[in-house]
Amino acid sequence: MMLGFLAAYFLVLPFLPPAMRAAGHPIVYLFGVAGSLLLLVAGAFVLVKRTGRGGSPVGWFMAHVGCGTLGFALVVIHTTGKLERPPALLLLNLLALMALGVWARVWGARRMADTFGTKLKGFGPANEATRTALKTILASKGELLARLDPEAREATFSVTLAHLLSKPSASLAYLRLVRAEESLMGVRQSVGPAQAWWRALHLALAAVFVGGLLIHVLLVTFFAGYVAGNRPIDWWHVTAWSF
Amino acid sequence: MLEIGRPKGSATVNDHSVAPPKSTSRSGRLSLMIDLERCIGCKSCEVACKQEHGLGPGEYRNRVLWLGDLDGAGLDFLTVACQHCERPMCLRACPVNPKAISKDAETGVVSVAEDRCTGCGECVVACPYGAMGYDAKDHHSVKCDLCSDRRSEGLTIACASVCPGHAITFGRREEHLAYAEAEGRTVRDHDSFLIGPATVYLDRIQKPGRAELSALETRSTPALIDDPESRRQIGEEAIAFPYRYPRQDRLPDRVEPGGCNICFNCCTTKYHFKGDRLVRITGNDEDPLLKGKVCPKSQLSVQLYASKDRLTQPLKRTGARGSNQFEPISWEQALDEIADKLMALRDKHGPETLAVFSGTRTGIITNKGYVQPFTQLWGTPNIESTEPYCSAGKNLAFRLTQGYGGCGNSYTETDLGSAELYVYIGDNQAETRPVYFGQINDWRIKHGARMVVVDPRFTVTASKADTWLALRPGTDLALGLALAHHIFSQGLHDKRFCENWVLGWERWRDFILEREYTPEWAAPITDIPADQIKDLAERMARANGCVIFGSRGVNQHTYSTQINRVLMFLAAITGNWGRKGGAYMNMSATIPIDASVPMERRAKMTRPAVRKCPTGWLKAMTEHRPYPITALIACNNPLSNWPNQEGAREALRALDLLVYIDLFPTETSAFADYVLPAATGIEKGEMGRANDDRRIVWIDRMIDPPGNAKPDDWIWTELGKRLGFSDVMQEKYKDPAVLWDEKLIDNDHMRGITQARLHSIPWRWVRFPSASEDAPEIETLYEEGTTAVGAPPGHRFPTESGKLEFWTEALEAKFAALGLSALPEFYGERETLHDTAYLESLDGDDTEGVLSPFDKEPAATSRARIVQPGNDTPGFRLREQGFDTELVTGRPSAPQFHSWTHYAWQAQEMWPDLFVQIHPEKARSLGIEDGERVRVETSHGVAEARAWVYAGIRKNAVFMPIGWGENQPFHPWKSVNFLTDSDQRDPLSGQTNLKALLCRVRRI
Repeated sequence: MMLGFLAAYFLVLPFLPPAMRAAGHPIVYLFGVAGSLLLLVAGAFVLVKRTGRGGSPVGWFMAHVGCGTLGFALVVIHTTGKLERPPALLLLNLLALMALGVWARVWGARRMADTFGTKLKGFGPANEATRTALKTILASKGELLARLDPEAREATFSVTLAHLLSKPSASLAYLRLVRAEESLMGVRQSVGPAQAWWRALHLALAAVFVGGLLIHVLLVTFFAGYVAGNRPIDWWHVTAWSF
Repeated sequence: MLEIGRPKGSATVNDHSVAPPKSTSRSGRLSLMIDLERCIGCKSCEVACKQEHGLGPGEYRNRVLWLGDLDGAGLDFLTVACQHCERPMCLRACPVNPKAISKDAETGVVSVAEDRCTGCGECVVACPYGAMGYDAKDHHSVKCDLCSDRRSEGLTIACASVCPGHAITFGRREEHLAYAEAEGRTVRDHDSFLIGPATVYLDRIQKPGRAELSALETRSTPALIDDPESRRQIGEEAIAFPYRYPRQDRLPDRVEPGGCNICFNCCTTKYHFKGDRLVRITGNDEDPLLKGKVCPKSQLSVQLYASKDRLTQPLKRTGARGSNQFEPISWEQALDEIADKLMALRDKHGPETLAVFSGTRTGIITNKGYVQPFTQLWGTPNIESTEPYCSAGKNLAFRLTQGYGGCGNSYTETDLGSAELYVYIGDNQAETRPVYFGQINDWRIKHGARMVVVDPRFTVTASKADTWLALRPGTDLALGLALAHHIFSQGLHDKRFCENWVLGWERWRDFILEREYTPEWAAPITDIPADQIKDLAERMARANGCVIFGSRGVNQHTYSTQINRVLMFLAAITGNWGRKGGAYMNMSATIPIDASVPMERRAKMTRPAVRKCPTGWLKAMTEHRPYPITALIACNNPLSNWPNQEGAREALRALDLLVYIDLFPTETSAFADYVLPAATGIEKGEMGRANDDRRIVWIDRMIDPPGNAKPDDWIWTELGKRLGFSDVMQEKYKDPAVLWDEKLIDNDHMRGITQARLHSIPWRWVRFPSASEDAPEIETLYEEGTTAVGAPPGHRFPTESGKLEFWTEALEAKFAALGLSALPEFYGERETLHDTAYLESLDGDDTEGVLSPFDKEPAATSRARIVQPGNDTPGFRLREQGFDTELVTGRPSAPQFHSWTHYAWQAQEMWPDLFVQIHPEKARSLGIEDGERVRVETSHGVAEARAWVYAGIRKNAVFMPIGWGENQPFHPWKSVNFLTDSDQRDPLSGQTNLKALLCRVRRI
């Protein structure tokens, strides 16, 4: 559907009034603002999911998909098809982000379902060396957890956003131990690379997008002269600084 | 109490790693105990789980993995379900806060709140056991919570409740560990990662020669089982109620007892309804014998009843025959036109021009109570069931030897359970009657009995045995004779039993000794070393109770009757007949119900049956010789299950009238002039299948058939009405329960098994014989000091002499009329890699042949002669043409049965594709990889299948299962019967060889 929208937009783009083909035109500009806000709502899912605040995670996931899709559409209109300029990298990033999301829901979901009953290694005879190494990690985790969250039990504990914000050093140290444990267990190797890493990549792309968006907003708002170059500045801005 | 997010309960790891915190109480920890020695890989637990939780394709809470071995014959099964770990990786991986996955502090059960899960799949990646399921449609994790809903209702968990192998037990972990210790069983250490799995796996019992179940990742899982790519062909439209419906829509408000009508295990079941809708089928837990255990098929019936592929309207052909073009018509029009056409054909060719093929799907009551009287009133002897492809040889052998068709023992712990030795020859009971095998295997383990399996394949049954003898296909008669020779030559036979209760045993002994059927003689024929034959013979003779199981593996041969007689003789000479714990079993016993029409009312028949096998009718259909068969009413699927499919198709094309009565559109319906939609099981009201245990299981009519479909009984009665048979096929008998009481059970065997008695029993079965309503059931028939039912006083067995009959002059005369002897002489099959004597038919099917001396009703058969191997055998000629592999066909795995189950989506999810089992060495030499598509060719035809590379089959043999057809909805494949031959038949019984044919296999 999204690809259809994109195709349709680029087909009708040459026939739109010139004003609608300028990213700085107030209406088109507002498309960009609205799209960005919607994408931030989509991004808020990450926080809601991790903080337990804001209601049903499943509801927020729906918002994540809906706002992300609509936000993407508005941002595309905001680009006015000028894909040769640096902000197009953001669009490319966004496109990759969405493609990865679609892949995860359609093909990735199938792989998730197909994973059931495929990990025989866990039922095999234990490797004593692995067990010894795991015992060491468990001991370290126990010590660290006493400082990080004395009430918690290692068996069911995971580092949350609250831990990261309140005790970042201990939290990161604990996460390193978790990664080491997972590595010994071969967690990510137990499935295909796409299934193992898609989510990490999705989060990374999202982080890049948010960063890029901030830079874009800063530049067009305060460094309008730099952005415009030799062209007139036809969008709302605060200063026209240039480098 | 559920904990979400941060649990307050204990966090411990497994016993041998980190000591649990002192505050932890583990007494309440719930878990499964899975006995790998008892698991038979039937996947009944998977079916129960999906039923219970309404799961669709690809959604799993449990799964049974088949683990083959490429280096040697090995087959094991691993039931994978959530391990409810002490340190659940899934829970810790869940990024949602509070967690969507929680662990109950008291029971240790780990569960997922599906309404909080966002479907990121981190838990799926994290679980080191691959036990986290995923719903790819609604996007959330799916996992075993040890049936929390059922537990809250006071029920045990679904998988354990049905497990035919008694392999899954639910309870407290401590109790499981105590049980294991008490039984001396090894608990598998599968806590490789110190996460404390709760599930207790009892490891295989180690025995010499048995592959060790240690490094599971080195075992091979066949590519075709549970193949995700094949699963994609099961569309959402196939998933009907109650699957993927909310639990509240599936909660029953009414439960009715009944039975399964699919296979020969004849399980007792309970049908759960919400209003008028069937929501679930379970085993009947009140049944003292089966205890609620059922195989997958009984449960999969839910999917058959609700299938959108069902026929729901009478159809009339509009295109060319085979074009599958029809128009819907009314029942009135269909039956009127069929009756008119039948009468026209009768006027032209005589009544024998009509043939009727009924059988498995049709049901015993329909066959005996409606089809048989119809043909007697009409006047055709050409009525056959699937018996000549299944059991005709053993039925005849039982009748000749014992006077009645079936074993007299019971599946009780004090009878069959008390045997010291179980010998399976050509019977893969673990897959064909999984619940019965579950009992036998359970008794074997409990009592320390031995099990020997003789089969070209390392079957599931063989995987539980102490010894597997990989017999060359088509040579079991040689093995049987050699076993007898060794017993006689060593004087190991039960002299007292022989002298008192066997007629003609000395003559048979002398014959065997004179022919020198020694183990050394049999060894090169059977490919079983002589010392192993001797060892088996001695064990059979010395065991205090030996049960010999034979089945289709021995039945489906041109020597079907003779091998069955030899195995019966072996049981008899070792004293294993008419005693507890000693028997010759060969699947189902003949059910003594009969609604035959009085002789004076029957139509006069002037010609005998063309042949006692439906594929013996082909010449009569195509060439009208020896006389024309121009009309066929098929209540089964001949274009899948008749051997020689090319010939069968040619024959059906040649008919003037083909009427097809069935549940689904099939390969046969495409050829039919009229397709009549039928009903089955609880839509119809009938008794369950004939089974090993003489149990009559009654199934009430509980729901209406879909659309305008009608029970077979209604169809035959209405057709009979149009042909003037209303005086016999009365309106009231459309109700099979009325027919049962008034007509079917009017004999000494059945008189006591009335509808009132059956309905007074919560599990709806009674063992026959039972002469009166208050007569107690007889656990073991023919015990010393008893008189057989219906026999004169003192007649222990229901033969004329009251003894078992090996050889009599009267018997000899009957055999001699067909060119054979009552003393079974060795011969094998004509298409083998190792030439042996074989049988040659002297009268083609286009001739009148001779009247069979073995049939009550006049039926023609062929005379035959045994041909000794020479330089120019049929096998030699085929080998010269490159047919270098022995083909064995047979039953597929437990969830499948003939073509029925191919319309149940879950059976197709588990076992999607037609396969050919091939040895790794053979596969390597042909460049064939596991799962690849291959072409199999015999001199009779060609078929394709997917390769299953498996070391548990003889190196020069391949195995292909029956049941697939090219018109099936999910995974259409041409029937294996394109490869088989209709002419290789036992002249005594009409049984067809389906077990030994030469083929060649090529990669596509």
